[in-house]
Amino acid sequence: MRAILAVFRAILRAERAAFLRGAALAVCVAAMGAALLGLSGWFIVAAGAAGLAGAGAMFDVFRPSAAVRFLALGRAAARYGERLLTHDATLRALTALRVRLLARLAAAPFAKLERLRGAQALNRLTADVDALDGAPLRLILPVAAGAATQVAAGLALGWLAGPAIGLWVAGLHLAGGGAALLIGAQAARAPARRAERALQALRARVVGLVRAREQLAAAGRLPAQIAHALDADRRRRTDRARLDRIERRAGLALDALTLAAACGALALGLAAVASGTLDPARAALGPFVALALAETLAPLRRAVADYGRIADAAGRVAPELGGGTAPASPAAAPGRVAGAAALALDRVRFSRPGAAAPVLAGLSLRLAPGETLALTAPSGGGKSTVLALCAGMLAPDAGAVRLFGRDLAAWPEPSLRATVAMVPQRPALMRGTVREALRLAAPRADDATLRDALETVALWPAVALRGGLDLALGDRGAGLSGGEHRRLALARALLRRPAAMLLDEPTEGLEAATAAKVLAGLRAALPDAAFMIAAHRQAEVAWADRILPL
Amino acid sequence: MSVIPAVETSREMACDHGALARGTLDALAEPARRPLRRAAALGVAAGLLWPAQAAALAWALAWALSGALSDAPTGSLWNGAAAPWIALCAFAALGLARAGLASAGQARAFRAAEGLVGSLRAGLVERAGRGSANGSAGPGALAALAGEKLDLLAPWLTRYGPARARAMVLPPAILALALSQSWAVALVLLVAGPLIPVFMALVGIAAREASRRQMVEVGALNDLLVDRLSALPDLRLLDAQDRAGADFARAAEALRARTMAVLAVAFLSSTVLELFAAIGVAMVAVWCGFSVLGVIGWGGWSGGVTPFAAIWLLLLAPEFFQPLRDLAAAWHDRAAAEAVAAELAALENGTSRPLLGAGAAAAPLDGPAAIRWRGLRRGSIRWPDGDIAPGERVALVGPSGSGKTTLLRLVAGLDRPDAGAIEVAGRALDDACADAWRARLAFAPQTPAFADESLRRILTDGRLGTNAEADAAALAPALAAAGAAGVVATLPRGLLARLGESGAGLSGGEARRILLARALHARPDVLLADEPTADLDAATAATVAEGLLALAATGATLIVATHDAALAARMDRVIAAAGR
Repeated sequence: MRAILAVFRAILRAERAAFLRGAALAVCVAAMGAALLGLSGWFIVAAGAAGLAGAGAMFDVFRPSAAVRFLALGRAAARYGERLLTHDATLRALTALRVRLLARLAAAPFAKLERLRGAQALNRLTADVDALDGAPLRLILPVAAGAATQVAAGLALGWLAGPAIGLWVAGLHLAGGGAALLIGAQAARAPARRAERALQALRARVVGLVRAREQLAAAGRLPAQIAHALDADRRRRTDRARLDRIERRAGLALDALTLAAACGALALGLAAVASGTLDPARAALGPFVALALAETLAPLRRAVADYGRIADAAGRVAPELGGGTAPASPAAAPGRVAGAAALALDRVRFSRPGAAAPVLAGLSLRLAPGETLALTAPSGGGKSTVLALCAGMLAPDAGAVRLFGRDLAAWPEPSLRATVAMVPQRPALMRGTVREALRLAAPRADDATLRDALETVALWPAVALRGGLDLALGDRGAGLSGGEHRRLALARALLRRPAAMLLDEPTEGLEAATAAKVLAGLRAALPDAAFMIAAHRQAEVAWADRILPL
Repeated sequence: MSVIPAVETSREMACDHGALARGTLDALAEPARRPLRRAAALGVAAGLLWPAQAAALAWALAWALSGALSDAPTGSLWNGAAAPWIALCAFAALGLARAGLASAGQARAFRAAEGLVGSLRAGLVERAGRGSANGSAGPGALAALAGEKLDLLAPWLTRYGPARARAMVLPPAILALALSQSWAVALVLLVAGPLIPVFMALVGIAAREASRRQMVEVGALNDLLVDRLSALPDLRLLDAQDRAGADFARAAEALRARTMAVLAVAFLSSTVLELFAAIGVAMVAVWCGFSVLGVIGWGGWSGGVTPFAAIWLLLLAPEFFQPLRDLAAAWHDRAAAEAVAAELAALENGTSRPLLGAGAAAAPLDGPAAIRWRGLRRGSIRWPDGDIAPGERVALVGPSGSGKTTLLRLVAGLDRPDAGAIEVAGRALDDACADAWRARLAFAPQTPAFADESLRRILTDGRLGTNAEADAAALAPALAAAGAAGVVATLPRGLLARLGESGAGLSGGEARRILLARALHARPDVLLADEPTADLDAATAATVAEGLLALAATGATLIVATHDAALAARMDRVIAAAGR
């Protein structure tokens, strides 16, 4: 509940006025509904009494009938406004929530970003944010507005029909509704959480199934894996059935509650009429209002069912919303130290968490502007680690990494990224056109510049055949071959025009002639840049000025 | 044990097939029609109890009215002193019965809907596993459809169907009861009631179109978010995270605006209904009031109406409109369900290219593992005819994009050619023999993707040994031959590590060697390896080449697509995949 309130507070902060207006209208709607039925009942019984007494002409028919019409029309209008206002406010807040989450995650450490690539983490995040619109719309607003209406109806009944009837109707609704909500939500919490987990498992398994389909088929494991995915659905259905039972029982309890309130109000009214302390028209108010208040209980049933899911999602999202901003990075760009190496490593040590032996045990190197250094080592020998350290994706355990004479940690992120470009071994592309992919690196570049970059990496001929810069790529750059994928990432890095370029096995998947062409193109395009490449192919090693075996 | 239900679902799926392609909701719901109808009948029965319940309440109040004026009520059961208390008890008992019937109906509808959605989901997951990803939706969209989107069918089944049944029975029944007391009230209901479906239809059409558009966009937005999140490290390196974030914010804001447009229409339609219902009820209330007052002398069958009838009519009037309002509220469930059905149909009718066979385990195909292809074409790529003898070692070479990978996939039956034929072990490669053919071969792809399972399960193809130690020992030779022993050693939990679909931080070369080790461990008759030495240093590449040749030395056919001249040189023969 605390997490739900935290999320609700965050949403409320963003759209307070709209929510307050919505809540006020919600109370209006429910109160007008109760007043409409109560007034109608009173009007007919009172008119009946006057008619029987032969006092029809004295009875004021116009004010009650005008009020009935006003309440009927006003209620419909208020309902429309309330729905529109609260939904719009919630959607606005949730859009802001998504954008804020993305921005916060974008500033997270690289290790966390790598973990986020998994389907499970991604689904969970999107599904959680989707679920949170339930917090204000299906939980807090209806419960608060319902309770307020019940209190108001109780006071009005107490005044018009006597305190006993008012207390009975309002007290029963408040206590019974509250109890049904608390007990039901408590019972529904565990199955809701399990059902959600099973849904995430189903999604993760379907994603894995579709991605690894060919490998699974080749191994004859497709049916087994499909059954595995459906097993998650079976578990989920068990818990959904449990949830449905809880929700239906809550509904039954709430129906019984309305019935008890109406019967009690009627009994009290009849007794009062029999004893002559209440006129029949006022006695009719109680049961009619009690029946109308059923409307304030109806959302509780939905709230019972949704509470577990919402609480679960809020528990995970709330920590991400807490204060705190992106990790501070130095504000001012440090000047480059004249004559310093473009990149220098000084006795750098680095170990993977939990690993026995360090990957790097005191590595030192210097790389001058315009120089090309090839790192060679057996696979897994630490080449990629050196590049990641130079790009600031990892921090050394000991020693220093300097860029143009300044420690990497002293560089503000934007100037660091403008100075160093890195193409990882498995660069990520996104859905969109080739132009959009390149513009990510250089938002203001014109088409000619983009085409030149593609020419440099010998990709333009292949792209030009298939629509040029408008060639549309699928999810994660689908539609390009492995070599094309990598060359597009190279062109993207090139457009940054960095002073230091870090390339992890840049010509993998290219035939020798193309590889040589790409490397020559890169050097010609950036004659003054320092290149550091993790190399294992002869073409890459031959291209370098200097070779450093790790 | 887990394989048996899958076989059953595939049979279920076969009968759903046509219904899916038609994309109509009624066809989708056909298997659950009878239980749903029974559930709806219970709801109708509950609704029919209300007039009796309302009569009990009206009777009690009418007694209060008359009893208060004439202090000497007659002694009969109907209007004696006990009458209101009997009415009260009847009111309570009928109310409980009504709630119980409604609840029972909902329980039945829920069960029927869950069963139906479950079988649709089983069929969808089956097809997602078998269809080709190139021609159809992405994994994220498929997972969303199989997950929460299919769930959108449930509200339609559990709410719309019962609401429609109630809307067909209850308003006419209440109209008839109202007519028995007053033609004026019946006239009011008759005029206000039928207008509701007219408005509903008008507004519903707009709402359906808007809702369909929005469904497509929610899927696209989620795909976009997933795409962005998984590219975040690269975006950071390009300092493009703010631009990508702003892009995303624009897309999200556009989605919000479109969602509100949908909701504004949806809310407007329900407001129109509420307005009509409210006006109808208000007119009934006012007429009843005037009538019992004696101001109006027309509208009843003998002048005005009695107080009992007036109160009863007042209680009946809202319930005349309620089923229509419920149906209107459920209309949007129907629109959402239609959008899902359309998406299912689009998937069904889409140009997907399912793999050959079922991808299931099968007894290996008989005969020597000869491979030949003639006149082969796939898209814009054509291959020169080729023959590969059993036990031959062949390198496929050619520039990137020349179709090396595609040829391997065609030979493995993972893709279908547009023209030409492939023969394996002396017979045409088709759906019937593809599984048996694949039982003899192993495929080590260039871009590895992992299902959500442990490395041990991946490497053993799901055939786990008695314990992890035994598997480690059994796998050791293959891991060593693929140069992957060191890779496993550096993973946090070794063979028990779960790689997930992105490979849990393994480099491309490392992931590829893992899958090569799996292929070697399977001891296939034919090994298809796509760039097995890519991303490898010379020493590791040499290890991998030795591992491949060692397998070939046992008589296996080796087909390697490669850029690596050193590896190609160690094969018996080189085939140039001069594509395009």
